[in-house]
Amino acid sequence: MSLSVKHLLGIKELTSQDIEQIFQTADNFKQVLQRPIKKVPTLRDTTIANVFFENSTRTRISFELAERRLSADVVNFASSGSSVSKGETLIDTVNNILAMKVDMVVMRHSASGAPWFLSQNVDARIINAGDGINEHPTQALLDAYSIRERLGSIKGRRICIIGDIMHSRVALSNIYCLGKLGAEVMVAGPPTLIPKHIEDLGVKVEYDVKKALQWCEVANVLRIQLERQHKPLFSTLREYALYYGINKQTLDSLGKEIVIMHPGPINRGVELNSDVANSKQSIILDQVENGVAIRMAVIYLLSGKVNLED
Amino acid sequence: MQLLIQQAKIVDPRSEHHNKTADLLIEDGIITTIGTNIEANNAQIITGHNLHVSTGWTDIFADYREPGYEHKETIATGLAAAAAGGYTDVLTVPNTYPVVSTKSIVQYLLQTAAGNAVNLHPCGSATQNAEGKTLAEMMDMRANGAIAFTDGWKPIQNAGLMQKALEYIKAFNGILLQMPVDDALAEGGLMHEGPVSTRLGMAGIPALAETLMVHRDIELLRYTGSRLHITGISVAESVEKIRAAKKEGLQVTCSITPYHLALTDDALITYKSVYKVSPPLRSEADRQALIEGLKDGTIDCITSHHRPQEWDAKTKEFEYAADGMNVQEMAFSIVYDAIGAQVPLHTIIQALSTTPRAIFGLPASGIAKGEKACLTLFSPNDTVTYTDDTVKSLSRNNPFIGKKMKGRVLGIINNDNFVSNI
Repeated sequence: MSLSVKHLLGIKELTSQDIEQIFQTADNFKQVLQRPIKKVPTLRDTTIANVFFENSTRTRISFELAERRLSADVVNFASSGSSVSKGETLIDTVNNILAMKVDMVVMRHSASGAPWFLSQNVDARIINAGDGINEHPTQALLDAYSIRERLGSIKGRRICIIGDIMHSRVALSNIYCLGKLGAEVMVAGPPTLIPKHIEDLGVKVEYDVKKALQWCEVANVLRIQLERQHKPLFSTLREYALYYGINKQTLDSLGKEIVIMHPGPINRGVELNSDVANSKQSIILDQVENGVAIRMAVIYLLSGKVNLED
Repeated sequence: MQLLIQQAKIVDPRSEHHNKTADLLIEDGIITTIGTNIEANNAQIITGHNLHVSTGWTDIFADYREPGYEHKETIATGLAAAAAGGYTDVLTVPNTYPVVSTKSIVQYLLQTAAGNAVNLHPCGSATQNAEGKTLAEMMDMRANGAIAFTDGWKPIQNAGLMQKALEYIKAFNGILLQMPVDDALAEGGLMHEGPVSTRLGMAGIPALAETLMVHRDIELLRYTGSRLHITGISVAESVEKIRAAKKEGLQVTCSITPYHLALTDDALITYKSVYKVSPPLRSEADRQALIEGLKDGTIDCITSHHRPQEWDAKTKEFEYAADGMNVQEMAFSIVYDAIGAQVPLHTIIQALSTTPRAIFGLPASGIAKGEKACLTLFSPNDTVTYTDDTVKSLSRNNPFIGKKMKGRVLGIINNDNFVSNI
């Protein structure tokens, strides 16, 4: 069985069956990753380009490891500025890479919808590795996968996403993904960092982080995206840390043990204190580990090899 | 030149022939006979297609980019698109380089367009180089043929300057056009702020960015007692505010675009930049409010907001793509196809023809014996499909290309010319 989509542009377009299938495939790859030889020959005739128009370390490394462990050939293209600033259009950049016979493109881009634009204009499978403030689908998949792993299930679980919801593609993808899997979702943070109409996506909104923590079983704490802020949306990092940051004392006062997640990189002392990030309640490094298995699953399922292998 | 229009239904509520089917004989640019079964042996005959005829249509906000950006649209290609769209008169936005801020550019535009079937009426900028800092030489431009004043796609943000501009034009009974956008509220936004923008992860432009500007400008209008045309309104609250201001007796008029009547923000779900326009496509409730405003006369005009962009400017990531839609030559088809079942034909035609002429002081050009023939020929029943090959504009940034639409422009008669689409 293959996925209902040709590209992974966002979680928006996936069915819950797609997500379950990605999880089951990731289960298999996770076993592979425990072996002494962490590599399968599945995609040895496939070439994948990682095209990153925005800085990224962990996501790019995670994708690259996933690709290499599937035995794909990998090329990396990184440009810290936008394609426009270099004078070459996005279509030209990617078509140049495709002319060298590339089968898939993993792209990160600062503009929302850029992977859609690409999929409409070039002939390759596209995987979105984060687009503007829209989606980061593989992050949401690995987040949900990690919750499933820790709690055994997702349906009916209460999950809170805390922080800069407005500028976070992780938040939007998580809202879609958890919603499709039947979880209850809340977003919490300063009102200026929560987009209007977010309730229409079926989530609760809370401005008091303490109340949000009391409500939830899992808190996914987001990075404050200083680089994506065009307007003054909160006063100072100090005030943010005092009123929206999470420390051990807050967690201990809840009278229950909740799971702490973070997509990284952490601003330690701002949204999360080290005593929380390093605690046993935190599954932050499990998320990173699961990221490789999830990305292997996505790449494999979109590669067109599925029917041959099954 | 002799032209004989046969069996045409006349759409002009001011004319004694309104809603009647008649023949019109036009000789040397003048309507010489209106009657039945007119015979004229040497005349070119225009017939069939369920022919309708009205006073020539006027587009009050169109972007031709000569001088400066001739790769997007020249005066010649723009006027060809206008003629194909049924327009006998076009007001141009001063979005050129240099900007239309002095009489010399006004004169250049008038000279370049002279002799065309379509009359070009340049708008001058209200502030120097449309920079929103100091007043432009509006009196001198007016004396040399500028019809009205606007900073076009860069609405005046400074309330004090807007007040001065409105005061200044009273000396010559001028009129200011303003597209209502508050830049501070719209900053960074890519589309209408609403459930769809949240779903798509795109930064929103709130309705408030428009309504606050409409509110401010109405207050300034009350204070100055001047004349203002608010162009391209897109949200329900703007219609309400303008309705109230008109009731109060303020000299305010307004217009809407074809695409705000035909499309909503749902069109953006695949992130296609062809739908990127300013003001942005709004909600269905807003669209319905615009239709109601058109029906009850709150909205005076339909204007194309023609904004041609070359392929490279538009074919890129949504955020980086240029604003605008290139719809002048199919404005009527877009409007009629979208709302023809909801709005009486004569209401649509008035908003395209006689009302904009009256607001901007163009000759009344009625349909009567002895009048100058300034006419648009159209058929509400014919369907039309525009293709890349038939489009007259230089640019193609238009999602309606390839769409079969009901309502077709058959041609214009103006300045003793007949430009035919038949």
